[in-house]
Amino acid sequence: MHEMSLVQGLLGQLHELAKEHNKEKVISVSMEIGPFSGVVIDSFQFGFDILARDDALTREAILLIESPPALYRCCSCGMEMKAEQRPERCRHCSETLLSPVGGDDLVLRQVEME
Amino acid sequence: MCDACGCDLKPEEHSHDSRVVEVHQSLLAANTAMAKKNRVHIEEMGAVAINMISSPGSGKTTLLEKTIEALGGSLRIGVIEGDIETDRDAERIRAKGVPVIQLTTGGACHLDAAQIHKGLHLLEKEEGGAQLDLLFIENVGNLVCPATFDLGEHHRLVLVSVPEGPDKPAKYPKAFHSSQVFIISKTDLLPYFDFPVEEAKAEALQLNPDLQVMALSATSGEGFEQWLDYLKEVCAH
Repeated sequence: MHEMSLVQGLLGQLHELAKEHNKEKVISVSMEIGPFSGVVIDSFQFGFDILARDDALTREAILLIESPPALYRCCSCGMEMKAEQRPERCRHCSETLLSPVGGDDLVLRQVEME
Repeated sequence: MCDACGCDLKPEEHSHDSRVVEVHQSLLAANTAMAKKNRVHIEEMGAVAINMISSPGSGKTTLLEKTIEALGGSLRIGVIEGDIETDRDAERIRAKGVPVIQLTTGGACHLDAAQIHKGLHLLEKEEGGAQLDLLFIENVGNLVCPATFDLGEHHRLVLVSVPEGPDKPAKYPKAFHSSQVFIISKTDLLPYFDFPVEEAKAEALQLNPDLQVMALSATSGEGFEQWLDYLKEVCAH
């Protein structure tokens, strides 16, 4: 459950941003969480719901999470394929060795404050 | 998308007295920056660092004890132990005569770069801890959370013991595709457990074709030479 400590880090970052821009309330937070980031989106959302409500700055904040689809590259022919779950074989050449491509991002994109 | 400011909210969801700040920064940015500093610090100590990740009870500490027995005479080895509570692992390593410090996370399920930063400074104060060839970081026993945090290591090793079963790579992919080495430990127990070694290797390689896979028993010594050769090679570079 490292999502809790990641949410704590996020709240710390929001406090810094609010101070920097002289704002008192966070309205919305947009995040990108990649499919290979090792972060469970539901757990992250759950952690945010608990911790943000305890904090005057973020009490009413909405958390928006976008997760791009997982992308795999065939180790034999190089074909890239999007998939919800790891494909058993390459759709082009039937190779079974497929490498995940990128998708490990855990990015705070934008914050709306007032 | 909102046309007025380009943010991700629908127009009715907010007023435009507010201000949208573009951040585009990783939540792990602070950890990654600290990990980079740790890597430099470790190199200044002369060492190569290996971050060991596994479930509790996979044999990380026993592997370290036997490794120190075999290589402690020719390589300067140091250890940073991570556990939620107690310094029992550090005591076991200290008994082997190498510098070791114990980090207790007090409940946290993983080590992070800030803890390792602190750990490196503590290790330097231990006798023989300032100059090393090889630094082992034994992470908190957990196959999930430690995989997300770069500590400043040069190599990451994931360990699965025979009694745990062969399906760990499929169930915990992040630990396997972020590692360079996969060790199947306690192979002396293969006669008593259903653990098809070749299948487990193949499954791990499907997740990460670049993984170096070794099967060994620290108790019987089977497969241990390959592990020691690997360590000598990483220290030689």
